[in-house]
Amino acid sequence: MGLPVSHILLATGFLLVLIGMWGMLKHRNILRIIIGFSLIDTGLHIVMVATGYVTGHTAPIIDKALGIGDATSRAVDPIPAALVVTAIVIGFSVTAVMLAFAIRVYDAKKSLSIDALTESKW
Amino acid sequence: MVEAVLQPLNIFLLGLGGGFLIPLLYKIAKPLPAIAFVAALVGIAAISGINLWALHNGQPTIEILTAGSTPPFSINLRFGLWEGVFTFSVNVAALLGAWHLWGRLRDSYAALLLYLILVMGINGMVMTRDLFNLFVFLEIVSIATYGLLGLDRGAAALAASFKYIMATVLASTFFLLGSVLLYHVTGTLNIDEMIARRDLIAGPIGVTALLLVLSCLVIELKPFPANGWGLDVYEAAPSGVSALISGGVSAGVFFALLKLLPLFENHLGIIAISGGVSFLFSNLIGLKQTNVQRMLGYSSVAQMGLLMLALALLDKLGAEASLPLVVGGLFVNHLFAKAGLFWLAGAVGRSEISAWPAIAGRPLVLLVMALLLVAISGLPPFPGFWAKWELVMQLSRGQQYAWILVILAGSLLEAAYMFSWFKQATRSVPNQTPVRPALRALLPATISVVVLAVSGYLAANIAGVASLWLFAPLCIGGLLYALDWLPGRVKCTMMLLAVLFVGNWIIGDLQGLNRLFAVLLLTCGLVVASAGLYRNDARPGYFPLMAVLLLSIAALLRSSTSLEFFFSWELITLSSYFLIAQGRNAHPHALPFLLFSLVSAFSLLAGFALATAANGTTALVAFGSASGPVAEAAFIFLALGFLIKAGAIGAHVWLPGAYAEADDDLSAMLSSVVSKVAIFGLFIVTYLAIRSETGLELAHVMGWIGLLTTVAGAVMAFQQNDMKRLLAYSSMSQLGYIITAIALMSHLGWVTALYLVANHLMVKGILFLAVAGIILRTGTRMLEANDRLWRKMPLTFATVVIALISMSGLPPLAGFGGKWLLLSAMVEKGWYGLAAIGVLATFIGFLYMFRLAHAVFFGPARPERTTIQEAPLQLLLPQLVLVLAILALSFLPKLFMEPVSQAIDPYFASTLVWEGMSLETIYGYWNPMPVLAASTAAAALLFALAWLIYRRARHHGTSLDLGRFYNFYQAVLAPVVLPVADAFWNGVSRLVIDAAGSVRRLYTGNGQTYLLYVLYYVVAIYVAAI
Repeated sequence: MGLPVSHILLATGFLLVLIGMWGMLKHRNILRIIIGFSLIDTGLHIVMVATGYVTGHTAPIIDKALGIGDATSRAVDPIPAALVVTAIVIGFSVTAVMLAFAIRVYDAKKSLSIDALTESKW
Repeated sequence: MVEAVLQPLNIFLLGLGGGFLIPLLYKIAKPLPAIAFVAALVGIAAISGINLWALHNGQPTIEILTAGSTPPFSINLRFGLWEGVFTFSVNVAALLGAWHLWGRLRDSYAALLLYLILVMGINGMVMTRDLFNLFVFLEIVSIATYGLLGLDRGAAALAASFKYIMATVLASTFFLLGSVLLYHVTGTLNIDEMIARRDLIAGPIGVTALLLVLSCLVIELKPFPANGWGLDVYEAAPSGVSALISGGVSAGVFFALLKLLPLFENHLGIIAISGGVSFLFSNLIGLKQTNVQRMLGYSSVAQMGLLMLALALLDKLGAEASLPLVVGGLFVNHLFAKAGLFWLAGAVGRSEISAWPAIAGRPLVLLVMALLLVAISGLPPFPGFWAKWELVMQLSRGQQYAWILVILAGSLLEAAYMFSWFKQATRSVPNQTPVRPALRALLPATISVVVLAVSGYLAANIAGVASLWLFAPLCIGGLLYALDWLPGRVKCTMMLLAVLFVGNWIIGDLQGLNRLFAVLLLTCGLVVASAGLYRNDARPGYFPLMAVLLLSIAALLRSSTSLEFFFSWELITLSSYFLIAQGRNAHPHALPFLLFSLVSAFSLLAGFALATAANGTTALVAFGSASGPVAEAAFIFLALGFLIKAGAIGAHVWLPGAYAEADDDLSAMLSSVVSKVAIFGLFIVTYLAIRSETGLELAHVMGWIGLLTTVAGAVMAFQQNDMKRLLAYSSMSQLGYIITAIALMSHLGWVTALYLVANHLMVKGILFLAVAGIILRTGTRMLEANDRLWRKMPLTFATVVIALISMSGLPPLAGFGGKWLLLSAMVEKGWYGLAAIGVLATFIGFLYMFRLAHAVFFGPARPERTTIQEAPLQLLLPQLVLVLAILALSFLPKLFMEPVSQAIDPYFASTLVWEGMSLETIYGYWNPMPVLAASTAAAALLFALAWLIYRRARHHGTSLDLGRFYNFYQAVLAPVVLPVADAFWNGVSRLVIDAAGSVRRLYTGNGQTYLLYVLYYVVAIYVAAI
């Protein structure tokens, strides 16, 4: 198989991003919109990890299998992975805030439709 | 130790530490979180302020390393002058904002925590030098904003917040993807290294990555039209939160753009266009707004657009040296003016603009509002003014004329909706429940004004013109305002003394034309202003503004650079606007006055910018040596500006209302003194036209404009039944003569112009003051309502007769000399057509002036009104002084002509336009008898003709009924005075407002539509960049 795992990951990630965008634009229910955002976010995380991948290299964990000397030549780039961790935390909190707003919107309007949120315009 | 405490990293310690401590402290005791919050916020502000001060005094930029290693292995931050200015301004604004929001913050420790984290996040966005860290701070700011938006649980606020979240999460997703891909191609997240390796950012991945980051930043700055989510939040959120988003969050994002700008050097055009479109369209739609906060939101979006535009264009033109003044000035101006307005809106608590008459009787609220509006409109003395000036100068130097147009058009629209808001606030409506905001609630907005004033002075320093005499008008105005609680007459006396002494000091040892104008305008200004003593009411704010007005005129005449000139010009405009706005029925007329004045000012700005680019200097003397096509264009713009301000035909629509509805003694000042400032301007710009043949052609056009103004003014004056409107149109008509005289561009023409200026100065002073006396005694402005006043007010009658004779050009008074000189000068130049029109205009002028005297002093007797007395001495004295001046001008003309001739000579000595003929020779020609006979005969002939036509048409016998005679001619002339100009300008304004109405339909209020716009915008940026 000539297809590197990073390409599969990239394709999957971007596909998820696109599905998420479609979901955010298509669905009227704000819970589904939030799910759309989560898909975008998850897809993005996969893409991020994929960008750090170097074909044939191993996880950047220094242990018996990977000595310090080999780290630069045999390990994949650890930075994207580190960034993803932060991004996941941020994405999690943003999702939580969105869900909290969804609850309050439902309390105020007894509806979860985005079409109901048009008090301000023009 | 002290150094360790002041280390900028402590900002984050205070923000995060304080933030996490707050919930803990809440568990311990109720008041503790609030105390910790205040301590942390004050600490953050203090650290940024003290470090900024140290940097200002020469300390080197503070580079902050973290985690014990150097970048790129760890995150680093920077605190330089730019960072200092941004963080300190935002932190001070955050303190004021916390004061404003205290009612909401106090009760909820979560809100305190979020607020602190938000402020810390903005500081981080400004200081960090790591791209991913920037993303983290962006998200911290966003999440804290979402939290604060949740403070208001109203349905509208929640709905708006959700739309805001949808759009911003998408934008930050793009940022995240972009920065990871940038890391992928450059191998670093450190911004400085990335900039150093920006050559690596190529190929599809690199470019896409860069554009994604750019898109996120642009989207976060809320560009038109992908900004509906931002506008909805500005409208629905609590005013304090809106202020924070508009000033603080935008500041963080804008600074991110500023520091990443070297990466975007190939995309500066996109940034500029995005900013320009936002500035123009948001200000357009602002016209149609009825909700205060939404309107302020449009203005916020527009100001951010202007900042983007300025940043990108200056960078493109290589004018980085101007960045501190332009970008710094615009930023501080926007931050404090806009936040101040949001806070003010919150303190007043009226969401609909139409409900703002509620503050009509609150002088302090109105003052704060007025100053903030002046600031946001980019008018002096605030930083926005200096920034816009510098920006326009640089754009003109770089020949970016279209951008100048965008900036000026947008600024005009912005001033239009901002001041129509003010118009609502000054409208007194019966049965309105007044709002009395507590002093405490007004504090943040008031402090904003102070901060703006101080930074305005600093900006003037950077612009290099912060001299005491230039700011003296404002200082004196401020001082007098502090004493505004005194009785009216005391204040009037103080104002007169201040103007006398400070004015004298300002004009100092001026020479030539400037001295002549300075002496004339200041003396006459003092005489007319002394009439203010006739009223004994308090007139809050009137006298300080009058002092600003008169002293600004003095400062304008002292100006040696176009910047000083323009600064004083704008102060004159503003002080007269606020003075007019105090008139009881003036509020519908004050706004057109201001808008036309601003069009005039912007036209001047464009003209000065062109002239500066052509001359290479802002010095006004350089006008004497400018040449080439740019100088001609400059002349057109400058002349246009001055003509609009002089009320020339076509742009005269603002004039009658403003003059008629201003306070009675103010009308005298406006017509006699203030209008002459525009005339002075025409004098100084005509040097530009002297230089070339086409310039002289343009002067000929100006001559026609002048005389058409005269005729139109005279015909319209003839139609009036209101004394003040009649005099207003008469003023327009007389200024037309002066314009024509200046346009002659010859020595004789200029002597004539100055002669006419002096004559009109005195005549209109007398007439308006006399009318003030009549209105005071009879209580009416209508011509018909008056009776045989010559018996009851003999002195007023005498002064009016003298003034009318002098104005109408009848011998032997000064007006005759002026008309005679004008006709001679036109004939000398070969402008026969104009000379003939001049004679006709004189005749019509004679008719309406005779009518004025006749109707007021010889109307039908009304025996029931026996109590009418002569006007008070305070009004009569200035009139008598002016009468003496007219007599002196008439019978000892050399007294005046000598200095006039001397003042003009140097300007023409170097030109070939007019050579020979000294003034002595002109007087040698002056043999008044034949001219007198001829003109009297012509006048008699025309009158006989008019009478004949009247009799033929009406078959009325021979009884001398002047009233019917005038009625007949009013009817005959009515078709001539179709309000074409009014219809035209009304049409223009309707068109603009309708356009605003159509464009704003884009904002459907649907969150998904907004999201789609955001996506389209990103795609558009991508397509534009590829």
